[in-house]
Amino acid sequence: MIKIENLHASINGKEILKGLNLVVNAGEVHAIMGPNGAGKSTLASVLAGREDYEVTAGSVDFDGTDLLELSTEDRAREGLFLAFQYPVEIPGVSNVNFLRTALNEIREYRGQESISAKDFMSMVREKSAIVELDSKLASRAVNEGFSGGEKKRNEIFQMAMLEPKLAVLDETDSGLDIDALRIVANGVNTLKSDKNATIVITHYQRLLDYIVPDFVHVLYNGRIVMTGTKDLALELEEKGYDWIKDSIEA
Amino acid sequence: MENSNKLSQFSQRFAPTEIEALLPMGDGARAFIAENDFPTTKVERFKYTRLTKLANAVFEAQKQEVNLEKRHEQICPDSIAIYVVDGKVILPEMSLPNGLSIDFISSAQNVPQSSIKDVFAALNTLHAHSGVNIKVANNCIIEPVIELVHVVNSSYAGFTRNHLSVGENAQAKFVLTYVSKHSNTGFSHVHTSIEVAKHAHVQVEKVQMESAENFSFSDEEVWQDADSVFQINTLTLDGHLVRNDLHIQVLGEHAETHLNGLYMLNGQQHVANYTTVDHQVANCQSNELYKGIMDDKSVSVFNGKVFVRQDAQKTNAFQSNANVLISEDASVNSKPELEIYADDVKCSHGSTTGQLDDEALFYLRARGISEKGATQLLLTAFMSDVLEKISVPAVKEKVFEVINERFNWDLSL
Repeated sequence: MIKIENLHASINGKEILKGLNLVVNAGEVHAIMGPNGAGKSTLASVLAGREDYEVTAGSVDFDGTDLLELSTEDRAREGLFLAFQYPVEIPGVSNVNFLRTALNEIREYRGQESISAKDFMSMVREKSAIVELDSKLASRAVNEGFSGGEKKRNEIFQMAMLEPKLAVLDETDSGLDIDALRIVANGVNTLKSDKNATIVITHYQRLLDYIVPDFVHVLYNGRIVMTGTKDLALELEEKGYDWIKDSIEA
Repeated sequence: MENSNKLSQFSQRFAPTEIEALLPMGDGARAFIAENDFPTTKVERFKYTRLTKLANAVFEAQKQEVNLEKRHEQICPDSIAIYVVDGKVILPEMSLPNGLSIDFISSAQNVPQSSIKDVFAALNTLHAHSGVNIKVANNCIIEPVIELVHVVNSSYAGFTRNHLSVGENAQAKFVLTYVSKHSNTGFSHVHTSIEVAKHAHVQVEKVQMESAENFSFSDEEVWQDADSVFQINTLTLDGHLVRNDLHIQVLGEHAETHLNGLYMLNGQQHVANYTTVDHQVANCQSNELYKGIMDDKSVSVFNGKVFVRQDAQKTNAFQSNANVLISEDASVNSKPELEIYADDVKCSHGSTTGQLDDEALFYLRARGISEKGATQLLLTAFMSDVLEKISVPAVKEKVFEVINERFNWDLSL
């Protein structure tokens, strides 16, 4: 699905990713954990194509395409989805209008016909139920006045609508209470199939009780320094990130 | 009296008015012209609008043959349309609804004395040579839109004076359309006085689609009586140098005033909106919202004044001007002003100018929307609260049509 090789990226001349390697196959869930400042959000931003970051070396193959050559919108159209750590409020643009525009631009890119208003609305009803998002929120302006939990549920709702091949969830658990966390995780699990894949970026192990990863990677100082199963997350939770630092520097 | 200043010379290029109702105001206007010159940019009201080009402009012979058959500039197909083509008025031939009368301005018994004290108001008083006098009788509701189409298609230069009066408990919708399509320098100044009687409802859509060669100046002066509702939307879609002066005097209690504006500029267009809302009595409310989208090297000026006089207690007055710059070279001069002499009022004003939000653009693109599509969504959202105020569907369609042509957008709200 995605093959990241020797990825180096910097912002304002400061190198954050220093040779990151990662392979994710269809049907897999990977968790990326790491201390603050390790480069977790940078990885998400670079994959989505945020222009503030400069890729200085390395390659990203996304299902046979050179991801780094694509514009942000084309990455999305190829099936990459980033659930934002801080979803943006966009006054005046309704969620529904926004999503229909997105869906139709993606379909046009893929040579498909645009979706009818009726099919779209029934899709909205079906998919918003997955994250228990009040359908009234769908017609409100994008994220405007949404609570923290509603914003994160809205991200997963958008993911459900756009049906990506690869979803990158950037600290989707931050700021969520346990009920919202359960709803969000349940949404992600429902959308999981053997044709798509998920990268869950998180600081805390807690989310991984609900979204069970096939692999857990530890990102430290711009590189993946350790890979294991879900047990690694539990070990991290118990021993803290200093344990990683000590074992790397030892 | 001989006077060698540019303003007097400019004035002498135009014939004296023959509109009887204007004659009593002639002395005051003549004195103003004699004592003043074209304002320089040191004068606050003309700080951003350079008039040198206008003062020196050469206008060719005014009396060209006007093709009266080509009347296809109106925006609303079903409107009662009055054409003012190069200053010549063409009254509608259809039969008019009961209570509506439309005639030449020369038929007006009297027109209200203008309180605008500037050179153009004075020049108009001295030189207006045509115009329309429209009256809606008390208690009449005029269903069709009344459209006043101002067309400049030769190198016309001149002054037009219109008077609209809507009687007690009456209702009417006006569209004031300004079109010019010519390649020589032209100049038009249109002064429209509007009397809104007690309990009357008046809606005005002013739509400007001027050519790159035309100096387009227009004033609306409004008097509002008690319990009346007046709304005007000033939609400037094209123009080289466009200046709008809007003066509203709220003279009766419980009146409601809405003034909205939208300007979408590119190239080197210059559009200035000067507005004054003068609350003289208690218990009234006014809402003002002007929005601009500025591309290329365009320049906009917004100067909104709200006066709340000492007797105007319980006034609610809100004023806002917001601009989005979509090029690095466009500029905005925005000056909202409030002068409050009463102590029990709710008033606010504000002004914002900025670029589109980068974070929002990235968010939309990260969902598969092109940069162009994302820009369109954000700008449409920005304009939407003004677009929603447009009450005549054909006008809204026209605005969308122009937006579609200019940005290649497909809007249909």
